Amino acid sequence: MTSAPAFVSYEFADRKEFCLSVGGQLSRRIMLVPPLFDEMNRMRKMLVDVMQALETLEVGSILPDLPGTNESLVPLEDVTLTDWQKAIEACAQQHEISHIASFRGAALTVANLRQIDHWIFCPVKGATILRTMLRTRVAADKESGGNTSLAGLTAEAESGPIELAGNNLGSALFTELNAAELPDLENQRIVRLESDNKPGDAQISGSALWLRAEPDDDPAMSAAIAQDIANWLDR
Amino acid sequence: MQNEVELTPEAAVRAVMQDILGLSEEQVAEFTAETELFGALPELDSMAVAGLLTELEDRLDIIIEDDEVDGELFETFGNLVAFAEMKVTE
Repeated sequence: MTSAPAFVSYEFADRKEFCLSVGGQLSRRIMLVPPLFDEMNRMRKMLVDVMQALETLEVGSILPDLPGTNESLVPLEDVTLTDWQKAIEACAQQHEISHIASFRGAALTVANLRQIDHWIFCPVKGATILRTMLRTRVAADKESGGNTSLAGLTAEAESGPIELAGNNLGSALFTELNAAELPDLENQRIVRLESDNKPGDAQISGSALWLRAEPDDDPAMSAAIAQDIANWLDR
Repeated sequence: MQNEVELTPEAAVRAVMQDILGLSEEQVAEFTAETELFGALPELDSMAVAGLLTELEDRLDIIIEDDEVDGELFETFGNLVAFAEMKVTE
């Protein structure tokens, strides 16, 4: 039996940001940090399924909004990667979180939290996320008769705000993300898909939902993720 | 840590197509060199193509330049596999 998701909040930069919360009464708890930009939308249903599966395994979870995303009232253009890192740190402190599961680009937002145990799903470098968004913009420009290039747009983004695939990115966020390498944390477990041949600590059967044209779910993968997280918390 | 295993370009293209289109392994196994892609598969819009290129770069450790990408590349599955095979030997 799972309970209805609830909204809680955390304070960052004198504002309140939302977190979705499932199983808030449970003593074992974890924070899930969502993927960045469009990948967040495509994977949100999957993440909520993970939260509900975690509750059946007696693990409570919270899923914070990063400032500038989802329900946040801060314009994305004003947000930096450093803000995201500080926001996640503030949320972890305020909700007394000792374990974080981060998905895809979210791994870049937890890089400074060395005292926390990390479970990381299919991590991706900042430059890789930006490259897909730049390509989408080049394709859109081409369709409307324009002619832009990855290199040209990168130079533009480094000197001022840029619209990429429906997101207004400030130059600080773009520059920080473009340089952001994956963290190498002491207490980390990296979990990948079976179709992903890069080094990791475990593989899970499932689909790369971040590639899907429309948001989709994968209940079997969500259940496997929840089980792996619960086993990791118990270890 | 598990060791990195070698992935053939064709297997990588098949795996990425499977993820983009939400197909089963069996369905993607039926793709032949003549299978039509762009235009024939509505899921394969420009955003999906952008994701596909970046994912192939990531999985095959290659860099795909702007001027290498044209309509012909996505006409058929065979074209895409041939391109991936060419890129990994560069």
